[in-house]
Amino acid sequence: MDMANSRVVEIQNLSKRFDDLIVLDNISLEVNRAENLVVFGRSGQGKSVLLKCIIGLMQPDSGKIFINGQNIFDLSINELNRLRKNIGFLFQGSALYDSMSVRENLAFPLKRHFPEMKSNEITKKVISTLELVGLEDAIDKMPSELSGGMKKRIALARSIITDPELMLYDEPTTGLDPITTKEISELIITLQKKLNMTSIAVTHDLICAEIIADRAIFLKDAKIAYEGKINELINSDDPFLKNFFSNEIIKV
Amino acid sequence: MKLPRLKQSRRLSYSDYLYNFFATITGLTIFNWEFIKQAFIPPYEISEIKKHMDELGVKTFGIVSITGLIIGLVLAMQSQPVLQRFGATDFLPGMVALSVVRELGPVITALIFAGRVSSGIGAELGSMRVTEQIDAMEVSAVNPFKFLVVTRVIATTMILPVLSIYVIIIAIFGGYIAVIITENMNIQYYIDSVLRSVEFGDFIPGVAKTFVFGYIVGLVGCYKGFTAEGGTEGVGRASTTSVVLSSLLILIFDMILVKISLWIWPTLG
Repeated sequence: MDMANSRVVEIQNLSKRFDDLIVLDNISLEVNRAENLVVFGRSGQGKSVLLKCIIGLMQPDSGKIFINGQNIFDLSINELNRLRKNIGFLFQGSALYDSMSVRENLAFPLKRHFPEMKSNEITKKVISTLELVGLEDAIDKMPSELSGGMKKRIALARSIITDPELMLYDEPTTGLDPITTKEISELIITLQKKLNMTSIAVTHDLICAEIIADRAIFLKDAKIAYEGKINELINSDDPFLKNFFSNEIIKV
Repeated sequence: MKLPRLKQSRRLSYSDYLYNFFATITGLTIFNWEFIKQAFIPPYEISEIKKHMDELGVKTFGIVSITGLIIGLVLAMQSQPVLQRFGATDFLPGMVALSVVRELGPVITALIFAGRVSSGIGAELGSMRVTEQIDAMEVSAVNPFKFLVVTRVIATTMILPVLSIYVIIIAIFGGYIAVIITENMNIQYYIDSVLRSVEFGDFIPGVAKTFVFGYIVGLVGCYKGFTAEGGTEGVGRASTTSVVLSSLLILIFDMILVKISLWIWPTLG
C-alpha cells in the first residue's frame, strides 16, 4: 500500500487563535488508516477546535488539513459536503435535534447525503444502525425521553449511519458514570473494528482512552507536548504527565 | 457571513452599549443581505416552510383572536360617548373600521406576534446553537442558514398578513358587539357603513406593511438565536432581546411605511 493511500488525515502547521488567546500553535500530525488516535489535554486547550477544523466547521488562521490527500480548505462547499459524507462526528453534548424523534434524527443525515435513497431503504438503514447500538426499541422516542447514555448511543448511531471511514469523537464519554463510560467506549471500539473506521477522539477520560487508543498525543499550551503509546504516557516520568494522570486515576 | 460579536459582561460601560447598538445594526444588515442571497438559491425546503407556517398559525390563532375582539370592542366603547356628544354615532362603524384597518389591526397583531413568535424563534435557535445542533446540521451537508433561518423568515412573512386580515375582521365584529349593547343598530347597516367608509387605498397599505413586520419578526428572532453564545444564559438573552428589538423595529418601520403610503396615496386623510 502506498503512503498517500494509507494516510487518512494529515495536518500541517495548523494555527488558530481567538482574539488574544492562542488555541492551536503550529500543530502537525498524521493519522493512518484504521488507526485510533486519542488527543489528550486539559479543558480549554483547543481539543474541540482541532476537531472542528478537521471537519470544516471552523477556519484555522493558517495551516493545511488533508483528508485522503485533499486539502479541505481548497474545496467548494459542495465538494466539502461530499467529503463530509465520509466523516462521522460525535458531538460533546450529543447534539440530537430536540424537535425530531430518534427515527427522524437518524434519517436526517441519510436524506441529506443520499437524496436518491427511498423511504423504505432509509427506515431499514435506521433500524439496522439502531440495532448496532442496541437501542432499536427507542426508535419513536423523543430525545428528551432518553437518558444521557442513551443519547450518546443514539448520537453515535447518527454519526455512523452514513458508513463513514473517519470518525471524530468530541469527548465521547464526558458526563457519564464509569460503567456507562466503559460500555460506550467498548461500543465505539467494536463498531470501529466492525466498520473498519479510522478515528480521532478528543478526551480527558482515561477509561475511555485506554479502551480505544492505539496512539495518543497530549496538547499543552497550544502545542503537541507529548506523543506515544498510551501506556508510555501513563508510565512516563515527566512530572506534568504524572500529575495529570494521577489525578485522572484517582477520579476513576 | 461574518457577524460582529457583541460585548458581553456583567458591567458594560456606556461606550460598550453604544458599540453593541451599532454592532447589532451592522449584524442585522449583514444577516438580511445573507437572507436575500440565500432565499433564491435552491433547494427551497418547501416542506419546512409549510411546517413552520402551520405551527405559527396554530400557536398564535387563539391569542390574536382574543386581541382582535378586544381591540374592536374597546375602540367602539371608547369612541361612542364622544361621537354621541356630537350626535355623530352614525360614523361609529366607519371610524372603528378605518382605525382597525389602517393602523391598529396590523400593528397590534405584529406586536403580539413579535412577543409570541420572535422570542420562541430566538430561544429555539439559541438553544440549537449552544448545544451544537446547528453544527451537527452543517456536518450533515445542510446549510443551517437556509434550513433554519430562510424557512422561518419566509413563514413569518407569509403568515402575519393572513393573521392581520383575520384580526381586522374579528375587530370589526367586536366593534359591532359594543355597538349593539347600547344602541339599536342593524348588522346590515353596520356592515354597509363599514364597507362604505373603507376604501381599497386604506386596506392595501395596512396589509402591505404586515409583510414587512412579519419579515422583521422572523429575521430578528433568527439573528438573535443564530448568534447566541454563552450557554443557557445566552439562550435567555437571545429570547428577550429578540422581542424587544423586533417590537422596536416594528414601530419604527410603521412610522416610515405610513409616511411612504401617504406619499403614494396622497388623496388619503
